[in-house]
Amino acid sequence: MRLPWKQQARETGPQTSAFENLALPLLPSLYNVACWLSHSPTDAEDLVQETFLKALRGFGAFEPGTNFRAWIFRILRNTHLTSRTGLAARNTVALEDELGDPNDSGAALHPESTIDRQTPEMNLINLGDRAAIEAAMEKLPPQLLEVILLCDVEEMKYREIAAVLDIPIGTVMSRIARARAALREELHASNMLSGEFRE
Amino acid sequence: MSDHLSPALLNSLADGELMPDQRATVDEHLAECRSCTSSALFQSLLKSATAKAGQRYNPPTQLLERLALRAEDENAPSKSAPFRITLWPARRLAFAGWVAAFALLLVFGSIAFVQRNSYRAAIVSTRYAGLVTEACDQHVATLASNLAPQVISSDRHTVKPWFQGKIPFSFNLPENLPGDTRLEGANLTYLGNQPAALLLYSIGKHRVSVFVRQRAGTGIPEGFSQEHAGFHVIGFNTDELEAVAVSDVDPSRLSNLVGMIEQSQARVGRSMK
Repeated sequence: MRLPWKQQARETGPQTSAFENLALPLLPSLYNVACWLSHSPTDAEDLVQETFLKALRGFGAFEPGTNFRAWIFRILRNTHLTSRTGLAARNTVALEDELGDPNDSGAALHPESTIDRQTPEMNLINLGDRAAIEAAMEKLPPQLLEVILLCDVEEMKYREIAAVLDIPIGTVMSRIARARAALREELHASNMLSGEFRE
Repeated sequence: MSDHLSPALLNSLADGELMPDQRATVDEHLAECRSCTSSALFQSLLKSATAKAGQRYNPPTQLLERLALRAEDENAPSKSAPFRITLWPARRLAFAGWVAAFALLLVFGSIAFVQRNSYRAAIVSTRYAGLVTEACDQHVATLASNLAPQVISSDRHTVKPWFQGKIPFSFNLPENLPGDTRLEGANLTYLGNQPAALLLYSIGKHRVSVFVRQRAGTGIPEGFSQEHAGFHVIGFNTDELEAVAVSDVDPSRLSNLVGMIEQSQARVGRSMK
């Protein structure tokens, strides 16, 4: 229940009210992704708070009706890239797809090995060990982790991810394929997958 | 299509990114290929597993409350245009600069105004302090000298015309004086380097010197009355003249004479109009 004076305060600031209505429901998602990227709850709080304030101050430039979620996640991602942990991650990771044709669909960058062709029975797969999945995700390079978070956790479409990361859709597809291949390899290494899944 | 689905198609299938025609082709292939079906299911399971595992962190309640408060704080400074200012900090700084400049201008203007008024007050005070001193000195000098007035007469119609051609202004004298008050005569003098008429009266045995000259500037302050060296000094202004009377007589009697002289000047004003 909203208090009467709160309602009145909101009426005096329609833009803030609109921003809160859009942004506050996304804070759990923003915080979750921020924790994954920064590996620190404290840094994640700072990252989310800075993202929130940047978005609030820049909300006047946001075009109503467009994709607010992609817009604020892009702010989060750019803010992270300029943070201490973001800069460190950017300096230590180089992806093959960064060297490829940005207009490429990504298909040529998907190695066949990313798909296991020798797994006739899916019941041999045990993906129920959440801790092992989390451990595998933690080992992903930041640029692959963020694309998995946006695609699988946030259920963004490829074009949304492309907008957030400011990369072509083909690069998005390529990174998703590499991320899943890396996860599978890590799960193989941790014996989560049966021997029949190993190459 | 090749023997098996490409990784791009399998990922797009798991992510729901296939176009309808692509989806139809993929479904047709999966119906016949166990290997690709297994791979597609694995991709879907992996996606589902990472989606669950990725929901790992929940924001602390304080963070949500803090951010909600920050949103209200950001809105508070300008309720009519909450974002217009915050979007352009440079404009806000410029606005603050103008406000600061205006405030400084106001402060310095006020200081200058106060200083100017103080300076003016000091000038006026100094000016009339000098006037009182000079008037008293001349009064004492007149009393001390054995010289007779330059014009000796108790008749105002004799004294007033005597000043014709000697001073650049005219004045009037009261016709009816109190019983013990008498016009003794007059001198031409200078007060504050200005030509002045020195009217000599006596109230009983007390001598009174009344200096009349052209008004300068703001004139003598209204109700001007001072004590200087034991003498009472009372002054008045008209539109054109200012007068200072000095005597050791009782102040009320001196004030009465000065009042009569002041009232007589009104006739000059009326005749001039």
